[in-house]
Amino acid sequence: MRKFYKSLVLLVAMAFIAPAHAANDFAEEKIVIQISDPDPFKQTQVLNVANNLIKHYGKNKVSIEIVAFGPGLRLLFEDNVNSGRIDSLTTDDVTFSACKNTITAMTKKLGHAPALHSNATPVTAGVVRIIDLVNQDYKLIKP
Amino acid sequence: MIKKQLKNILIAAATFGAMTASTTQAANWLMLQGTEPSGAAERDHVWGFIQAQYQDDKSDPNGAGGYIPPKLIGPNLDSQSAFNVNRARIGVRGTGMPLDSNVNYFILTEMGNNGITAPGGYNAALTDASITLNHIPGARLRIGMFKYPGAEEGLQAIHVFDYINFTSVTNQMLLERFPQASDANVPPTATPDANMAAYSRSVGAFRDTGIQVFDTFKSDNWEHSYAIMVGNGNGLNFGDNDDNMDTYLYWSSELVLGGKGGRRSGLKLFAWNQDGKRTSTVDKTQEQDRTRTGFGVKYLGKLFRVTAEYMKGEGMIFQGQHRPGHIYNNEEADGAYIEGGWYIANTNFEIDLRYDTYTRGENHPTSAANDESTADTMTIGTQYHFNKKTRLNLEYANRDYESNTAAVEAQQKDVGGRLAVQVTHIF
Repeated sequence: MRKFYKSLVLLVAMAFIAPAHAANDFAEEKIVIQISDPDPFKQTQVLNVANNLIKHYGKNKVSIEIVAFGPGLRLLFEDNVNSGRIDSLTTDDVTFSACKNTITAMTKKLGHAPALHSNATPVTAGVVRIIDLVNQDYKLIKP
Repeated sequence: MIKKQLKNILIAAATFGAMTASTTQAANWLMLQGTEPSGAAERDHVWGFIQAQYQDDKSDPNGAGGYIPPKLIGPNLDSQSAFNVNRARIGVRGTGMPLDSNVNYFILTEMGNNGITAPGGYNAALTDASITLNHIPGARLRIGMFKYPGAEEGLQAIHVFDYINFTSVTNQMLLERFPQASDANVPPTATPDANMAAYSRSVGAFRDTGIQVFDTFKSDNWEHSYAIMVGNGNGLNFGDNDDNMDTYLYWSSELVLGGKGGRRSGLKLFAWNQDGKRTSTVDKTQEQDRTRTGFGVKYLGKLFRVTAEYMKGEGMIFQGQHRPGHIYNNEEADGAYIEGGWYIANTNFEIDLRYDTYTRGENHPTSAANDESTADTMTIGTQYHFNKKTRLNLEYANRDYESNTAAVEAQQKDVGGRLAVQVTHIF
C-alpha cells in the first residue's frame, strides 16, 4: 500500500513538473522550426516544411515544434489566413509556441494584446525556447 | 428593380453576416483587389506588369478611302498596324502597419500607351489609390479611386484577361468616355493623315472615385459576395464635375472547387447594376441618365473555362471614338458574350474561343427611328504560358458590323478581321 501511495505522489508531482509541451518520447526525429521573419512567404514555407516532415517520417515518429517570435509571431495571430493549416497541423501533434517578449512588445505598439490562435502556447522567450529544445536534442531548422 | 436588388442584397448580407465568423481571404475580385490576406500581408508589396503587343487590322477603307476607329489601331487611331506598349503598370499594396490587419491600401499607376494616357497626352496616370477599413464584420469599407463592382470583363484583373481586345459590348457600352466641350467629331479620314481619337480625356477604365461597402461570406463550399458603392461617376478624373452620384450594386455566389488567386477553380454566378446621370459638357443644362445592368456565369476548371454574360445599357450610348459630340443621347444598347478556354493537357498551350454581339440604337443625324447598329465578333486565340507570370497571346478576331442607317453602314460594312499578338509579364 505504501508503494501505491508513493507511486501516486510521484505521478502527481510529475504532472506538475512536466513541461507545458509534451514531446513525443517515441519520436525518431525531433525538430524545432523557427519563424521570426516578416515575409508572409516564410509563413507558408514553415507550414510546408512541417507538413513535409510529417509526410516523410509519419506523425508518430517525428516531434515538431514551431517557435514564433519577432515579426514571425504574425503566423500565430488569430485571424491569420493560415489558421486552418495550423489547426490541421495541431491534429498531427505539431506544437506552436508564441514568444511572450514579442507579445509584450506588440501589445505596446497595438495598444492591446494581439489575439492569438487558440493552439498557440506562450513561452517566456522564443529564442530561449529554441535553445532549450536544441539542448534536448532537437534539430533547429530556419526555412 | 434597383430597390428590389438592393433589398435582396441587404437581406442576404445580413443573413450571411450572422452566419459567418470567417475572415479567410476570398479569391474573388472584390477581395483580391480590395483586401490583403489577414496576418500575412507585407507592409509594401511592389508589383506590376507589362504588356507589349502588335496589332494588324485587315479592314478596307470606305469608298472615298477613309477609315473609322474600328479599322485603326488604338489608342492613337492613325494606322492599321502598330507595335505598342499598351500597358506598363507599377503599384504598391499592403498594410501600412503589418500588425494591424484591419487597414490595407492599394495604389497603381499606368505608364503604357492606351485610352487612359493617350487622350490627355500623359506619360503616367494614377488608376488606383484606395484604403480599405476592415473593422466592421460583414461591411468592409473601401475609399478612394478603384475598380467599381460590375461586369466580369471590367472588374477582373486585366493582367489575367484571356484575350487582348475587349468584347464590343464592353468596349463600347461599359468603357466610359468623357468628352470635353472642345471635343469635336472627326470625319472618316484616309491614312496616314487619320487621327480618329477625338476624345481628349481618359477613358473611365471601369473605375470611379467613391466609397464601397463590401464583403464575402463563406457557407460550406460557397462564397457569397456583395458590394454597394457610391461614386462621382467621373472615371479617372479627379473630383466631381456635377452634383450627380453613381450607385453600383453587385452580388456574386461562387461554388469554390479549389485553388486560389485569380485563376481559382469555381462556378460563379453574378449580377450587377450601375446607375447615374451625366451633365453635358456642351450644354450644362442637359442631364442624361446612364444605366448599365448585367448578369452572368463563369466556370473555371482545371481543364476548361466557360464564361457567359449579358449586359444592357440605357442612355449615354457611345457612338464611336470619332464622334464625342453624339454621346449625350438617350439610346439603348445591349450585348452578350460567351467564351471558353481549353487547356491542352501536359503542355503550356491554351486555346480560347469567344463570340460576342453588341447592338446599339443609332444616333447618326441621318438615322431613322429604331435604326440599330450591330457588331458581331468571333475571336479565336491561343496562349502559351512560359511560366506563371509570363505568357504570349495570339488572337484573330473575325468581325461583322452592320447598320440600318445607310451612312453608318457605308463606313462599317468593310470592317474586317484583326490580328493581335501580345506578351504579358507580371512582376
